[in-house]
Amino acid sequence: MIEAVQLAKTYGDKHAVDGVTFTVKPGVVTGFLGPNGAGKSTTMRMVLGLDRPSGGTVTVNGRAYARHKAPLREVGALLDAKAVHTGRTAYNHLRAMAATHSIPTSRVRQVIEMTGLADVARKRVGGFSLGMGQRLGIAGALLGDPHTVILDEPVNGLDPEGVVWVRNLVKYLAAEGRTVFLSSHLMSEMAQTADHLIVIGRGRILADAPIADIINGNGAARTRIRTERVSDLQRLLARDGVSVEIPERETLVVSGLGPKQIAAVALEHGLLLYELTPLQASLEEAYMELTKDDVEYHSLLTAGAPAEDAAP
Amino acid sequence: MSTAAANRAHRTVGPGLAFHRVLNSEWIKFRTLRSTLILLAGTVLVMVGLSALSGWGIGQALRDAAVNPRAGAALSQPDLLTSIPTSGVGLAQLIIGSLGVLTIASEFSTGMIRSTFAAVPTRLPAFVAKAVVLTAVAYVVATASALLSYLVAKPILAQYSQTLSLDQAGVLQGILLSGVYVAAVALMGMALGAITRNSAGGIMSLVGLFFVAPIALQIIPGDVVKTLNKYSPSGAGSRLLQHTTLADQLEPWQGGLVLAAWTVALLAAAAALLKRRDV
Repeated sequence: MIEAVQLAKTYGDKHAVDGVTFTVKPGVVTGFLGPNGAGKSTTMRMVLGLDRPSGGTVTVNGRAYARHKAPLREVGALLDAKAVHTGRTAYNHLRAMAATHSIPTSRVRQVIEMTGLADVARKRVGGFSLGMGQRLGIAGALLGDPHTVILDEPVNGLDPEGVVWVRNLVKYLAAEGRTVFLSSHLMSEMAQTADHLIVIGRGRILADAPIADIINGNGAARTRIRTERVSDLQRLLARDGVSVEIPERETLVVSGLGPKQIAAVALEHGLLLYELTPLQASLEEAYMELTKDDVEYHSLLTAGAPAEDAAP
Repeated sequence: MSTAAANRAHRTVGPGLAFHRVLNSEWIKFRTLRSTLILLAGTVLVMVGLSALSGWGIGQALRDAAVNPRAGAALSQPDLLTSIPTSGVGLAQLIIGSLGVLTIASEFSTGMIRSTFAAVPTRLPAFVAKAVVLTAVAYVVATASALLSYLVAKPILAQYSQTLSLDQAGVLQGILLSGVYVAAVALMGMALGAITRNSAGGIMSLVGLFFVAPIALQIIPGDVVKTLNKYSPSGAGSRLLQHTTLADQLEPWQGGLVLAAWTVALLAAAAALLKRRDV
């Protein structure tokens, strides 16, 4: 259980994390989703006391991380794939971390096996690929067999097999009743892994709900209709709260009216429809909708304006 | 599930944090880096090598002086022979001081410090454990090197009919205190490494404090500057290794105290910053 109350972090006059309040519960995978620079990593570092909050509090299982008697057995964290000295071998790194809590060498070997690092454990970390660094970070997080696991962007740099492995691992950890908090900027990854989502943008919480609610709640339900009499139907459907788009020939996408009502209008006016499809909003669309005003770095190409300015 | 219920739902088992465990962790970290071992080997080599060289050089010079008395004037320093076992300390302090800087600065540059502080979130035990390991290693390596230097220089000097023995005033004292001096420099290096959080910056400030500042202060005339030099870490520290009382200089024991004060001040500043800063 991680509980943040009005947690804030300010760098100069920039609010990296702007008074966020949330709870991460045990037994489910909680995803922490947001664009780059939204405050995910800063929030996670504050949970571990690596960054000092400018305001508010955050506790793990009822107390601040630093106040636990056995922090590594309480919380395991991957905050940075390469929070490891490059000159030391993976095995020695884990052994040194384990020594602080008298975690036996047998457990070190166990997490090395679990994370598939056995072949490279005696090699120095400096030569590791990003994916191996991630595996080593995850091995470190699991070292103390902690009840709470925090993983910042764990699938970054992993090959597809590794991505699936992380996905199964976090689900398994949650099924064991552990608290699992993992961040990503990839909504597709979250859609497959998380049960609950906390969406953050520009340091503020934009949504905190089960993943199904986020998909259904945002991007109001839409219906795709195909008919030869596009403009007639568009005129008939036009009323308050209804928006109609015409993405291609003989096709309308309507929101604000359900398929049943649209079919009734068409029948009443004798219009032939040859497709009537309710559209399920994807998490990706829901996410874009949520964060569209909160993306820290807009791509200039999609913003368009500079390109027009450049024209003579 | 309520918070209380969730917290009751698990119990953490197994040993928790304790200083002796953190010390063990830092000891593992210290000896599992190749760079550490290279720097320590370099220290031994430099100290023994320089003592052998100066034993040979001074032996030659004394033999020449016996033939040509005018050349002997410069050789009248009282501790010319007795300081031979510690003649490499000037260079060794730089190597071990750099090791001190690297002990912590390399953790900042590689990101390792986040793993360290995640395991020891109160931070200071990790810092103190590093200091203990570094002090012990620096003392043992420097003292052993000085002793080895003595054993190497002794037969070389004997060839020139010069005697060097542990009974001579200052010899044993120099050997035993060289470890103290080098350990103090190592700790100051570690403090500078923690303050600058950067290997190059830490080593540069150490070099500045121990090599550049004394030379610069010698060039500038004036009494204030002379006093500054007297109380500088290198000025005061070098007195610790001498057994003679010199006019206008600190007594050896006073030099030791000034050196200790510098070490404590820098460590305290480093600890305060380490505790407060984000990593």
